[in-house]
Amino acid sequence: MFEKNLSRREFLRKAAVTGAGLALAGCAPKVVKETVVVEKEVEKTVEKVVTATPAMIEPTEVLHWNWLSASDAEVWQSVIDDFNDANENTQIRMELVPDAEWATKVMPAVAAGVGPDFGWAAPAAGLEPDFVDKGILVPLDDLAHDVGLDMDDFAEGPLNVCRYAAFDNKLYGIPLDVMTMALEINADHAQEAGLDIENPPQTGEELLEWADAMTVREGDKVVRSGMLMGPSIQNTVVWGIVSGQMGYKRVSDDLKTACVNPEAGKEAMQWIYDLYEKHKVSTLEVTDRYKAFGVGQGSMFITGPWTVSGYLEAGVNYISIHVPKIGKEQKTYLEVGSLGLYTQPDTSRYATTMQAVKWLSDNSFKWTTEGRGAAARKSVLSRADYQTSGLPWAQRGAFVDEKALEMATIPIGYGLTEGGFDFIIYAGENYLAQTLDSVWYGEKSIDEAMDLICQKYQEHLDAAA
Amino acid sequence: MTSMVKQRWTVSGVRNRLRRMTWRGQRIDWSGYILVAPFLTLFVLFNAIALLFGLYLSCNEWEVVGRPEWVGLANFREILADDLAREAFLNTFRYVLVIAPGVTIVAFVLALFVHQQWPGHIVSRAAFFSPVVCAPTAVGLIWVWMLDTQFGLINQYLGRLGIPPVPWLTSPDWSWLGVSLMSVWWDTGFSFVLFLAALQDVPAELREAAQVDGATRWQVVWNIILPLLRPVTSMVITLQVIATLRIFSQISVMTQGGPAGSSMSAIMYLYSYGLSRYRFGYASAVAVLLLLATLLITLVNRWLVKEKV
Repeated sequence: MFEKNLSRREFLRKAAVTGAGLALAGCAPKVVKETVVVEKEVEKTVEKVVTATPAMIEPTEVLHWNWLSASDAEVWQSVIDDFNDANENTQIRMELVPDAEWATKVMPAVAAGVGPDFGWAAPAAGLEPDFVDKGILVPLDDLAHDVGLDMDDFAEGPLNVCRYAAFDNKLYGIPLDVMTMALEINADHAQEAGLDIENPPQTGEELLEWADAMTVREGDKVVRSGMLMGPSIQNTVVWGIVSGQMGYKRVSDDLKTACVNPEAGKEAMQWIYDLYEKHKVSTLEVTDRYKAFGVGQGSMFITGPWTVSGYLEAGVNYISIHVPKIGKEQKTYLEVGSLGLYTQPDTSRYATTMQAVKWLSDNSFKWTTEGRGAAARKSVLSRADYQTSGLPWAQRGAFVDEKALEMATIPIGYGLTEGGFDFIIYAGENYLAQTLDSVWYGEKSIDEAMDLICQKYQEHLDAAA
Repeated sequence: MTSMVKQRWTVSGVRNRLRRMTWRGQRIDWSGYILVAPFLTLFVLFNAIALLFGLYLSCNEWEVVGRPEWVGLANFREILADDLAREAFLNTFRYVLVIAPGVTIVAFVLALFVHQQWPGHIVSRAAFFSPVVCAPTAVGLIWVWMLDTQFGLINQYLGRLGIPPVPWLTSPDWSWLGVSLMSVWWDTGFSFVLFLAALQDVPAELREAAQVDGATRWQVVWNIILPLLRPVTSMVITLQVIATLRIFSQISVMTQGGPAGSSMSAIMYLYSYGLSRYRFGYASAVAVLLLLATLLITLVNRWLVKEKV
């Protein structure tokens, strides 16, 4: 064997040669590969032109991003599968993007030209003015007309929610479902407490009586909530509904004045605060409200239709009724689920995507009977089997029947171009929820909290004007 | 003349010139620079330029689409006027005061346990490090269950000691502590490894000499081991302080900053009120303020906990 001393000069020379060689080795095959791929594609195209029949043409793939989860996601997946089975020329590729990441993923992706073709509006229809303003969403009036979508078949309310008054009242979503909130009652707890489940509470007083009867306490401490509340998002949305019933409006109809009838908003805060402190039928120590109702930690729960399927699968014995009349008017929450098209570098994709959305809308029966929400299409609502198909009407009805849709006049939020997120009542992280939290935990008075909310709202409205 | 110019710019000419270059009277050794060039290139591209862009963005309003709009110090003024931002920063400093010492002490004790080869030290070595390799989301979800007020594991055991249930994640007074508890558990592993390595460098003769002189175990630890571990202790504290100032994932999973903003951290605030609302300029301004706070705290920390033995 021989030894060789490696000088610094020689080392540097060899390192440079090795590095250059690796770089070339990395580059060269790619060039060769691309050539091969290009040649194969040319061959394929030639073959297609010579021998093509419609069945041999590759289907167009439409990319769909979706933030639905749990049982909603399962039903929606089956709807997409139905579409793919029924349409040979177009296939939908669905990708899940968790709703927590939706805000930070969609706009950058679309801006970079790699966004989805269509997706569910987040958090709901009519609440994406940023997207409209930035040109992320495509206006749909003309596209809907071109594909022959029957706009007269849509219920007027949901369709209007998908229009943006600040942007020439153009349509930016096709409504697929209408969600309200109703009151779910654990039938076993009601029976234990000697309550007649056939005559559920209809007023605020009856609601409190039922809550008191079903609450389990250890001394002063609530261990099973008669009226399940908490965490932030639940308190906020119930306040939104109760304050709406009592006559409070977050924004005037002309979107210029914040906090119409703030006294009603304060009364609603007091009503919720009393659940914890005065009536002691609720506890703030709930970390997961869905799980809490599902395992029997709560007896009554104001929630949305997205829970129906999951609780039925879990074997919870419950019924759902319209939200009782706690205030002056019996109202409930309104949220519309819609599909919107995102801007693409290749605008010729819009026609195909719109065809797919039309199919999903025309065939929304499955989604609105087995999934969630009421149908946005009159033809679906009027079907004879609408009540008897899908999830049982005893659990589903109160969310989607005619009365529920009439009651649903408290909007989840407003399509404001400035600070819109803070107006949303179905949120646990916005300014509204954080300020309301300080009331439940005794850090701020009700008057102080309402003043802060109104001040913040007016600032947003003035900035948006 | 022409041939001399030509010779200067040939490969060998350039090589000769580089070889003869000096800095402060000494010849420059280019091999070092060549070897760090790959790392330096990536660092400049993905760290330095990103940092400079962030600084620039902090004085602009930018919503991803379109061009940034210069607003000067408006973002900083808005942050300083926002009560929630102030609370987020104060919460972050509170986390540092609890988590950094917590991790340091727990890691040192665990390292001592393993180093002393007390019963169970073999399994413990892997067990103490394993939390570090777990994903924060999974860890957070498990701790949400463990810290549940009514049915959580921790309250169950506290109940057996006669302690009433603690609202770890549902009370403004306790939520930040619940998050801190999880963070100490999760972050200890890395510091434990550092301490364990440092303990193995402590000369056994010093300990034995002290024991021969009648020193107790505690005296050996306090007077011999801890002073010798000063450099690594300083490093652990510094690293933990920096890591804690960036606390985010566990808060996002466990409390979303609530209730009532009591567990909100600066990065959580940046994410909720900056990135999620497409206010990248505002988010950058929060990041710049956090960077300044980190630099200041680190300098103070280095001055207080000197590395020299």
